Amino acid sequence: MRGWRRSGAPSIRSRLAWALVAWAMVWGLSVGAAVWLVAENEVVELLDDRLKASGELVATIVAAAPEASLAAAAGNAHVTVTAPNASSDERFAWQVVGTDGALLMRSAAAPTEAWHRTATSGFTMDRDWRIYGMALAPDGRMLYAGQTLDERHEATVEVALSAALAALAVGLLGHVWLRSRVRSELRPLITLSDRLERLGVGDPHSSADMASLGPAERAELRPIHEAIEALTARLTERIANERAFSEHAAHALRTPLAGIDAQLAVAMRECPATLVDRLQRVRDGSRRLQGVVAALLGIFRSGLELERRPIDLRQLAAHLPVAGIEVHVAAGACLDGDADLLAAALVNLLDNAERHGASAIWLEAAGPRLLRVHDDGPGASPARRAELQQALDDQSYAGATGLGLMLSDRVARVHGGRLRLLDDASGFTLEIDLGSGPPSPAAPPAQPQGPGNTSPM
Amino acid sequence: MRLLLLEDDATLGSGLRDYLRTEGHRVDWCRTLREVAALRGEPFDALLVDWQLPDGSGLQWLRDHRAAGAVTPALMLTARDRLQERIEGLDAGADDYLVKPFAPEELVARLRAIGRRVNGGNASLRRFGPVSIDLASRSAARDGLRIELTAREWSVLEALVLRAGRIVPKQDLERLVLGFDSELASNALEVHVSALRRKLGRELIETVRGLGYRVEKPA
Repeated sequence: MRGWRRSGAPSIRSRLAWALVAWAMVWGLSVGAAVWLVAENEVVELLDDRLKASGELVATIVAAAPEASLAAAAGNAHVTVTAPNASSDERFAWQVVGTDGALLMRSAAAPTEAWHRTATSGFTMDRDWRIYGMALAPDGRMLYAGQTLDERHEATVEVALSAALAALAVGLLGHVWLRSRVRSELRPLITLSDRLERLGVGDPHSSADMASLGPAERAELRPIHEAIEALTARLTERIANERAFSEHAAHALRTPLAGIDAQLAVAMRECPATLVDRLQRVRDGSRRLQGVVAALLGIFRSGLELERRPIDLRQLAAHLPVAGIEVHVAAGACLDGDADLLAAALVNLLDNAERHGASAIWLEAAGPRLLRVHDDGPGASPARRAELQQALDDQSYAGATGLGLMLSDRVARVHGGRLRLLDDASGFTLEIDLGSGPPSPAAPPAQPQGPGNTSPM
Repeated sequence: MRLLLLEDDATLGSGLRDYLRTEGHRVDWCRTLREVAALRGEPFDALLVDWQLPDGSGLQWLRDHRAAGAVTPALMLTARDRLQERIEGLDAGADDYLVKPFAPEELVARLRAIGRRVNGGNASLRRFGPVSIDLASRSAARDGLRIELTAREWSVLEALVLRAGRIVPKQDLERLVLGFDSELASNALEVHVSALRRKLGRELIETVRGLGYRVEKPA
């Protein structure tokens, strides 16, 4: 999973997507409303024109109608004119109304009552009709042409709906297009994020492709690229310097220490018996120094690279230089961490325990990344333990903690964990938390440990 | 065992040379690759090689040595302790890898382990009929009775036992036992072989006329 997805920070893409959805909706509604207003006016005007034109056409026809028809109409009964192809749901109708307000003639769809009993010219509204009135002849008869309001409403709605659908379609298409543009424009950022994840700063084994971000894909990203490239160059140089220093320091410190030990081993064989104990003490001190140097070199280098891998705790303890203290390891105890760093911490913890009067120490894997260390020494009072824990938490080691606790805390922190001192009625107990995260390749599962299945080394 | 120690640090080199000698090994100590070149063709039981030397890389020297067909067991002694470096050292031809600082006792134990591996067995105890030889404790017994041997006698016996089944030329045996720069009387080797036969039995060391000596493979 990408880091930017698990960061919890809002995503630019999703924010832009939501903004686009909101924009599409507002745009669709606004355009729809505007179209509705414009279309309604235009449609009403158009329909009125059509009504007026139809009325004038009917007036021309009726004016030429045989006098008999009108005469018959004058006998108090109006004439109903049915067009040959008229349908029953005809929505256009007309009436001829006499000067006395009597209905003289009408189309089949027109009501049987006159729309207006007094002469009314121009456009008027009835309950269900839009009516246009005009004088037929100098005798005062009026022709009224009408159109149902349902018809007019239906036409208006059709136009408005079509316009709204068109606006919505444009909005949706715009949304899809803009969304794809957003995705396309954000791709360089995702590529940059990928390259940053794979960037092997100071790693001599990384390929040329992994050692550089490559060219910026957008002008706006160029300053970021340049800033990262500059930072990477500084880091690479610093790491190279530190690596060179650590290698030089390792050689410069380890070889003389090995030489001192070899010379002391020879001297112990060649010296008078009275000097053997004294030389042994010198050798013990030299070995303690070896442990400290190894730990310091390990801690220094761990800032450059952590080699996390499965550790057989029993095997690890078997290689520790142990003198004067019995080490018990739970059978099958396995941990996931950097073996060299853990060994460096343990050497100094063992040394600490032995110097504080412990005769035995127990190592237990309380979890895949949790090492519990317990000794049978005098331990520490709750107040002293709290003081030590505070110093470890604040990383203010100077003058507060011994070298063993300091190194163990540094080792835990390098792994992403912490050192915790536990309450214990007897002896001294601590836990080295080796951090969380995915297990290293081929890491064994945590071995459940019982107090009874330990054995001395 | 005759060992070639390639180490430029004077304190460590002299300390290891002296310690290994107290353990009964013959040590030729070289501080540079140039000094090693002067020993070309000398037989050694094991090579102790430092990675970084004043005139080149001990690792590259070992790689070249292996490429030339040499099979002598080699142990890297180095301050380089990274996983990748350990892998590189072993891949270059080292049989074992010891990170400085180390205790000389551990170096000796690893040499014993190398000796066992070379001879195809894990046990340090070898039986040749009534004679048993323990390479770890450097002791010999016949019919269960411990036999006292001088340091030189033990060296001759060890060199032959480590090459059991093979003929060891007299000249090689002299150099294995006494080192490159040791003075040796012309019949000194015969004297030691004779003493060994007297103490352990005539049948243990066979003389292959005109070629050298041989100890049969252990039972």
